[in-house]
Amino acid sequence: MKYKDYYAALGVPRDADLAEVKKAYRKLARQHHPDMSKASDAEARFKDAAEAYATLKDPEKRAAYDELGRHPAGEEFAPPPQWRSRGDTSGDPSGGFAGQDFGDLDLADFLASLGRGRRPAGHGAAPGPIPGRDFETSVRISLEDAHRGATLNIEVDDQDGARTLQVTVPPGVNEGQKLRLKGKGGPGFAGGARGDIYLHILLAPHPVFRADRHDLYFDLALAPWEAALGAEIEVPTLDEPVLLTVPALTHSTRKLRLRGRGLANGRGGRGDLYAVVHIDMPTSLSERERELYQELARVSSFNPRASTAQKEHTDEAATQ
Amino acid sequence: MKPQPNDWIWLDSQETVSSVELSEVCGLSPADLEELVDYGALVPISDARPEPLGEARLRYSAEWVPPLRVAVKLRQDFDLDLFTVAMVLGYLTRIESLERQLNALKARLPGPLRS
Repeated sequence: MKYKDYYAALGVPRDADLAEVKKAYRKLARQHHPDMSKASDAEARFKDAAEAYATLKDPEKRAAYDELGRHPAGEEFAPPPQWRSRGDTSGDPSGGFAGQDFGDLDLADFLASLGRGRRPAGHGAAPGPIPGRDFETSVRISLEDAHRGATLNIEVDDQDGARTLQVTVPPGVNEGQKLRLKGKGGPGFAGGARGDIYLHILLAPHPVFRADRHDLYFDLALAPWEAALGAEIEVPTLDEPVLLTVPALTHSTRKLRLRGRGLANGRGGRGDLYAVVHIDMPTSLSERERELYQELARVSSFNPRASTAQKEHTDEAATQ
Repeated sequence: MKPQPNDWIWLDSQETVSSVELSEVCGLSPADLEELVDYGALVPISDARPEPLGEARLRYSAEWVPPLRVAVKLRQDFDLDLFTVAMVLGYLTRIESLERQLNALKARLPGPLRS
């Protein structure tokens, strides 16, 4: 078993009280937590501090650790004989760590077992089953894969290093969807169940569609005369293009719905597809087009700012 | 055997979990869950607490599983007390809700207005 200097890991003296230990740990946790630090060694440094704190905050574990005395960090050491019966309070000579080769055991695993072995007085049961580790992973998939389902290879960090697991994501997942796969995580100990896999789905940006849950949106650019007169326009969907009827007098930002053309919802239905209208203008006008627009300007009584002008007038009147 | 699509459990508002399941998957004791309910941080599907089995019968939306697991992980990482976990859970669910609203608004805006 290799010695680890937990006091040095937290930067506290050996006689530090619990408050000092806690304060030192929280400072290091704040500094090195992987959610807060982008340093490449942040996770390892956080784990070292967490391992040290898990022992030093617990009086029983700390006393067992202190029994070891002081050693240089990383030095192999022989645990005291009484450790063989630790980790088990049943009194069964075959329980605890009896017969185990301590050389293979990690100091943190042993000390952690003290907590698991602790039972209310009189119960005296051996350490119970320990469930396996859960794996949490994020995958970024295309909109098409979210709609139809996809087989993915996900990497999980097992005890024996990284392993690849092939999973089939069901059709109908959406942005931010979380899924649980029971019993496919790390192996349990002492009869404990396997852990689970938690999958967090992220959608890759799509060149055409934007997803909101199971509804899809895309931009539909219209020429001014298409918006004014209406039109039949071929539009894309996740399946095949379809003809969309644009009603006459369609204004900008209007959403035209194609029912049931969105993403599968995983429960037999589908969301809707929305064409979000914006009216585009040509970058230049021919002489004839200019004449037609000028003609339109002469004959039309439409004032797009009329409602704004009316509102300004009302506001002004109200302040007089 | 390779996991199949039907093996997945969807952690969304359409699915529910029992108190026992929630306790197992989030690493909290039933008493901790009850305390979070008392703080108003965790809301069972029905407010009515059937007696005498009480808590054991409560069910929760499966949507609670991801944020509760994150809050419990932070509890372990930073040695937080349960009241702080309740606060963190509130903020996590609020962030999730705001992210969804932001995503919904971005999806609805026409291209020229998004850029």
